[in-house]
Amino acid sequence: MIVEIGHFALVLAFALSLVLSIVPIVGARIGDQRLMAVAEPASFAILGLIALSFAALTVAYVQSDFSVANVWENSHSLKPMLYKITGVWGNHEGSMLLWILILAAFGGLVALFGSNLPATLRANVLAVQGMIAAAFLLFVLASSNPFARISPPPIEGRDLNPILQDIGLAIHPPLLYLGYVGFSICFSFAVAALIEGRIDAAWARWVRPWTLAAWAALTGGIAMGSYWAYYELGWGGWWFWDPVENASFLPWLSGTALLHSAIVMEKRSALKIWTVLLAILTFSLSLLGTFLVRSGVLTSVHAFATDPTRGVFILMILIVFIGGSLALFAFRASTLTSGGLFQPISREGGLVLNNLFLTTAAATVLIGTLWPLLVEAVTGEKVSVGAPFFNMTFGPLIVPLLLAVPFGPLLAWKRGDLYAASQRLFVAFALALLIGLVTLFMIDRISVVAAFGVAVAFWLVFGALTDLALKAGIGKASPSVMFRRFVGLPRSVFGTALAHAGLGLTTLGIVAVSTLEVERIAVMQPGDTLDVAGYELRFDGLVPFDGPNFTEEQGRFTYSDRSGRERGEVVSSKRFYPARQMPTTEAGITSHGFSQLYVALGDRAPDGGIVVRAWWKPQVLFIWIGCIFMMVGGGVSLLDRRLRVGAPAAKRSKPARAVEVAT
Amino acid sequence: MAMTRKKKRLAVIGGAFAFLTLATTLTLFALGQKASYFYTPADISEKGVAPGERIRLGGLVATGSIARAGGTDVSFAVTDRIETVTVSYSGILPDLFREEQGVITEGAFDASGRFVADTVLARHDENYMPREVADSMKARGIWQEED
Amino acid sequence: MLFWIVAAAMTFAVCLLLLTPLARERAGVRNSREHELEVYKDQLREIDRDRARGLIEDGEAEMARAEIGRKVIRLSEGDGEETGTASSRALGRWVGAIAVLSLPLVSWGLYAATGSPDYPGQPLQARLDRDPSQQSPEELIARAEAHLAANPGDARGWDVLAPIYLRLGRFDDAAGAFANAIRLDEPTPARLAGQGEALTAAANGRVSEEAQALFSQALDIEPGNIRGRYFIALASAQAGDQQAAERVWRQMLSDLPDESPWHGVIAQAMNGTAEPSEGANDQAEMIEGMVASLATRLEANHDDVDGWQQLIRSYMVLDRQDDAQDALDRARNAYGAGSPEAGHLAAYGLSLGLNVED
Repeated sequence: MIVEIGHFALVLAFALSLVLSIVPIVGARIGDQRLMAVAEPASFAILGLIALSFAALTVAYVQSDFSVANVWENSHSLKPMLYKITGVWGNHEGSMLLWILILAAFGGLVALFGSNLPATLRANVLAVQGMIAAAFLLFVLASSNPFARISPPPIEGRDLNPILQDIGLAIHPPLLYLGYVGFSICFSFAVAALIEGRIDAAWARWVRPWTLAAWAALTGGIAMGSYWAYYELGWGGWWFWDPVENASFLPWLSGTALLHSAIVMEKRSALKIWTVLLAILTFSLSLLGTFLVRSGVLTSVHAFATDPTRGVFILMILIVFIGGSLALFAFRASTLTSGGLFQPISREGGLVLNNLFLTTAAATVLIGTLWPLLVEAVTGEKVSVGAPFFNMTFGPLIVPLLLAVPFGPLLAWKRGDLYAASQRLFVAFALALLIGLVTLFMIDRISVVAAFGVAVAFWLVFGALTDLALKAGIGKASPSVMFRRFVGLPRSVFGTALAHAGLGLTTLGIVAVSTLEVERIAVMQPGDTLDVAGYELRFDGLVPFDGPNFTEEQGRFTYSDRSGRERGEVVSSKRFYPARQMPTTEAGITSHGFSQLYVALGDRAPDGGIVVRAWWKPQVLFIWIGCIFMMVGGGVSLLDRRLRVGAPAAKRSKPARAVEVAT
Repeated sequence: MAMTRKKKRLAVIGGAFAFLTLATTLTLFALGQKASYFYTPADISEKGVAPGERIRLGGLVATGSIARAGGTDVSFAVTDRIETVTVSYSGILPDLFREEQGVITEGAFDASGRFVADTVLARHDENYMPREVADSMKARGIWQEED
Repeated sequence: MLFWIVAAAMTFAVCLLLLTPLARERAGVRNSREHELEVYKDQLREIDRDRARGLIEDGEAEMARAEIGRKVIRLSEGDGEETGTASSRALGRWVGAIAVLSLPLVSWGLYAATGSPDYPGQPLQARLDRDPSQQSPEELIARAEAHLAANPGDARGWDVLAPIYLRLGRFDDAAGAFANAIRLDEPTPARLAGQGEALTAAANGRVSEEAQALFSQALDIEPGNIRGRYFIALASAQAGDQQAAERVWRQMLSDLPDESPWHGVIAQAMNGTAEPSEGANDQAEMIEGMVASLATRLEANHDDVDGWQQLIRSYMVLDRQDDAQDALDRARNAYGAGSPEAGHLAAYGLSLGLNVED
């Protein structure tokens, strides 16, 4: 019965989201408070119903109820409990349900914290959320129902794809979806503003925390996905410029742009139209990502079984929402008044530059990702666009932006002084240059690219530190005053510095791994050794091992450093999952500081040896540590008190009085 | 003042425009240089591919064609049931690389007409057929999706 | 029934939730201008804070204050609250009523089309715990397997499972199960002979040396063991010693009680071995026979992809490539060009080096 209750809850949530998408908008249109007031209880109820539905599916997984087709296809009674639960969203149907659950949760949060929003804006925002929910609920119910049943129930499930039987599945999709779906709030705010035909100052203050939250989650989701692919696929790569990866990277790029343009809008009421457009585009790119991943129209190393009919459905949703919102934008954008003026060299100017580069970079990635579809549609030829294209275009576009980042926070609003900012950044520049030179002469004598990249990375880190130091009043006040000022700085200043420094750390990791990595591949017999960047890796042999739902052969290695001292053991294995008749490779990874030794097993050679591929990955962990910095930076900014806009008190005189405050 | 402001604005717009033009040129140039075309073995025999041109070759791994030459070198045949191309590769093959499975290899023909791949992709999912491979084989009426 | 009550309660609760705000008469809510003013005030406070911390210069602060002041003035030029007119109130009432009514209609209608309200959940553990008389054979096996996975040392469990496997044709599993029981407990004649029988069945009726050893061991413990005697005799028949086999079988026929099912088995075996081909025990001929019967069966029933594959492979093993090609062509024709099965078979044929051009 639990399963059917879950199914019914899903259907009821769909009916309710239809009501939510119509009634409050009508209310806002005709000025009926009661109709608008329907939005909040409806949002809460949808959240409750979808949570119930999700819980029902989870129970079916935990109990191995194979009368549910989805459970039968993706679970196995012997699977460890963690993977039974994560398996709920380790498949198309379940992951769409998670998507909708998060969407409903965001709607619920807006309803909960929305008391300080103007009533009509709140009603419209929740209604647009309701429309998105209705579309996706219909999609799930019509084409990917997780509650479809089979009778008689099979006795054993077909198991979850072994690649997904990993802790990564517990974290990556929920974080990624928090990001994707979080941008739906920005979208809803943008569309609501367009419906009303006006945007007030509260709008940007309201959109910014949602953007920050979504952005931070998306950053974490992408980083987690990257690390997961890195250790699970056994290829040693952490980013493949694959369509599915690009699909998550695109909303990140435009979301980053949105994050910055919303600052301008909030502080200076400028860039209103642009910000609204970015909010629409960011969520559109999230939807596009969902479409690309689900439909399988592009060949991807991350693609799992896909279904073209579903793709068509999502394409329809895509066209309705993107087309509808852009049409509304074209129709209404002119009614939005533009705000404050500024000089090209100013904080605003810097943020515009940021937006220009980020959106251009996003456009490049988008073109590269969709190019194969385009070419095939026009000429019928099949083309693939891979890493070489993206490295050639994205790199040159992003490097100038990285160089410019430290200047931004040092420029004043409205009219900045580039020369003064340069003077203040001189120390950071000199230090970064020094580290670059050290890299060139001490570590790697060949690669100028490595030296330049490392210098850029440190330039970002030192630039962020300089900003903090200057804002604390370095050189102007005594240490104790400085400390007090430092502690009292607005949270958003710390957030900015953390995120920018994180960008530097990620750059450092990327540069180090791309330029200084060492890869060795060899056929090894037990007792053989392999030299990897000064470490000696000895193959001790293969040992069979039985897991709960797999068997594996563990390749055991001992490795010693330059002095010949043994440093530890690495275990890399070949697993076999009998339920799906599927082998996987489990890479053996050990960390040294921020660098890693990475060992993957290949096939057996005819002479009884085994192919071993080993990498030395210098400073690789900085790639993800930097992302964590960015995430934390987003979180810290979120705590800034500025973003907690107070609601007007119940009794309040007319605005006329406020004029005195300003003069 | 108004004049200089106007000039400044023009300069900014001009700068942005120049930047976008540059980015577009770069993108188009890179697409021309770096996009690699997808071929099936039959396409290759029909159209021909110049040695050294980087392409993607897709099809099924022919049964019994996987041969290890000692060390990490391996060769196998990619077939679309019409023509067959032998591919040589050095490195670790993906876990789901099997006979009769869809596969995409990326590389180029060398002067002697041998296809040397530097990348071999198989899927994470045993039910999955690479789309290009599936489409090409469907177009030739050789393979159909089950269900 | 309980399901419908819960579903009705859920629908009712949600409708009630919608009705509450619709029924309540609301005071005019503050308009958006006041919200905007609140933001400006907050921005002014923020400028003061930044100024006090020295984050911005005096001049910059003054400019910012002046700018916000201008926005506040512009704001105060707007008008007051908007309230609905009487006609819009009537419209609102209609919209509300339709919305609340649509909830049960849409949800129950859609659920009736897609749900399976009368199908209870089937948690695996509950299914395995059910009364065995109500369980399907698969469930019984799964139950026994689950039990044995948890208690691999339970020899009696293997005793139960082994004959079930044998009956279901899972001969390798059956042999393994008998072997487990022997390993864990002791080699009883029943277990030894059972394992031997499973091995024989797995080898398509051929009594291997391993199986013979098992039967002999069973006979050592219990000289009258029927299975042991029968299969040892079968082994000698397969080895060409027809007379020895028949001697044993005749003896068995007279020893066995009349109602024993073994009479039929032995009689069949004696007739079978009378034919020279079986007696000669030519493996190739045995395969030929199997292939012929498979071919006949497929002639009658085309729809068996595995059967066709087996047939094609068998021809290849027998080095009858033309027949294999012929079988492949017939199979593909039977399914029709362009069908998934034909494609599948073409792929299979290709892998064996057969021609798949039309």
